[in-house]
Amino acid sequence: MIIIGENIHVIAKDVSTAIRERNAQVIQSLAKEQAQNGANYIDLNVGPMKKDTEETMKWLVNCVQEVVDLPLSIDTMNPVAMEAGLKYCKKRPLLNSASGKTDSKTQMLPLAKKYNCDVVISVMTDKGMPPEVESKIESIMETVSYANELGIPNEDIWVDPIILPVSTAGEGQRIAVGNLEFIKILQDVLPGVKSTVGLSNVSNGVPAHLRPILNRTYLVMLNRYGLYSAIADPLDEELMAFVRGENPEITDLIYRTMDGEEIDLSPLSQKEVAYVKTARVLMAQTLYSDAWLEV
Amino acid sequence: MEYKEPREAYKGVIREITIGKGEKTLKIGGENILPLHFFDEGSLPNPPKFALEVLDMEPTEKTPHLYEPFGDVISDPIKWAKKCEGFGVDAICLTLLSTDPAEKDVPADEAAQLVKQMVNEIKKPLIVYGSGDEKKDAEVLPKVAQVCSGDNLLIGPVQKENFEVVGKAILDHGHVAIAQSPLDINLLKELNVKLCKFLPPERVVIDPLSSALGYGIEYSFSLIERVKQIGIITKDSMTMMPIIANLGDECWKTKQAKENKTQGLLWEGITALSLYLAGANILVLKHPETLKLVKETIGGNGTCQN
Repeated sequence: MIIIGENIHVIAKDVSTAIRERNAQVIQSLAKEQAQNGANYIDLNVGPMKKDTEETMKWLVNCVQEVVDLPLSIDTMNPVAMEAGLKYCKKRPLLNSASGKTDSKTQMLPLAKKYNCDVVISVMTDKGMPPEVESKIESIMETVSYANELGIPNEDIWVDPIILPVSTAGEGQRIAVGNLEFIKILQDVLPGVKSTVGLSNVSNGVPAHLRPILNRTYLVMLNRYGLYSAIADPLDEELMAFVRGENPEITDLIYRTMDGEEIDLSPLSQKEVAYVKTARVLMAQTLYSDAWLEV
Repeated sequence: MEYKEPREAYKGVIREITIGKGEKTLKIGGENILPLHFFDEGSLPNPPKFALEVLDMEPTEKTPHLYEPFGDVISDPIKWAKKCEGFGVDAICLTLLSTDPAEKDVPADEAAQLVKQMVNEIKKPLIVYGSGDEKKDAEVLPKVAQVCSGDNLLIGPVQKENFEVVGKAILDHGHVAIAQSPLDINLLKELNVKLCKFLPPERVVIDPLSSALGYGIEYSFSLIERVKQIGIITKDSMTMMPIIANLGDECWKTKQAKENKTQGLLWEGITALSLYLAGANILVLKHPETLKLVKETIGGNGTCQN
């Protein structure tokens, strides 16, 4: 699995300050740390970046490329910032992201063609987020076919089903299950496309110390169905261990839970129990609450 | 081929909870079918029950058509409660509004004495609601629990901010807790999980918050419906508790209910009927004529069956 390191993100205050003050050291150490921990791409989430767009993107991209040898994922909704970023990439970058929205189709997708890069395309449309697996599939087929017409082949497209927090009043669990189904059938409906998810969003809104186990468990579940890549935190060592295929016993427990097996928890270690309970929540076998590990 | 009626059988059972003691007892819950699914396997041993709300102080805003049936007793909570008994209630619900720091900030001791006096004088089981101020309730409700030790009252609201202290007093003095969370099923479950670490689930009733018609009733309806489904269909132990719908006050706060009597009765009546259909096990109303109207609508045995 390809891991796109998520830690250079303007929502983090130290990152936004570092960009504004051109503090290369902060950005470079974040990039290096992620690379050392096994990230395959470095995501540069710069937000809308309305001011000094061209100059800032040039600085940021070069700043990261000075210290790591990885390809970059340029993460912004602003097409001007996107192009400014793509332009300076030395390795074939990832355009993150386009969608089925009209603006995105007319402004982002042509950039992917122009710079001959890989592109994340989400299931979003002008109507918002399609509510069901079927409507997500319908929407992505339409957008991918539009991209194909522009000359972007399936192999360059990384489909994003959009992950939402599992903790949102009931619906979150249904969507978590739906996205597993989406990844499972994706190759059948769009052969050759790749896939990606914003993994950490599954645990958004959950108490901070409980987030990693949700992220890790969901990654193992998505990986089972062939997820190609994830935007995630490479500094989570246990997560990266799963990515390397370590922890086969826990992986097996998660798979058995997915298959609906009633696992006897009594012989398991505390850690194994926690993974089984988390998988049950992510499969919507039991109603979510912040106290899911305590039940 | 012979036609066979589809009949579902479910795994979960809503816990049956008894409130009150001696002659003054009331059972709620106990069903293993979804609301009104009498065509499925299982039964509803205790049809939904009804209580009328009494305030521990004379209301500051006196909507005339709301308080008219009680005459001058609204200045005396004990007389008010006795009057309610004449209207065919299953229980009395006393709200300790006066303890609210924004009202009279009456001390816990005084409030608890009134509750004890009411327990002694009325013939029906008692539900006690604090003012909802989580800090003040953390003083008032444990005191009520202690003074009425062994009376098996239904006491709330127990909220995430005060569940430890209020829940402990309810446990120590043999009462039942009303666990209240703000219209969110995940938070509802979380509170129950935390509360049931020390309080047996047989001593917990769920208050999901009841919104009035036109003021968010859809949220309360779907939440109650979902809690029941998860409890009965998937047997989630932390949602298999009876549900209390405390809706009277919410209805009579609305402009529509205050405007005129017929509208008010219908506003409260439709709200009550809707939450009854969603699966509430005990409903708290304010107007005795609404109570009559709702009971007539659902039929004498409380099951909508003739």
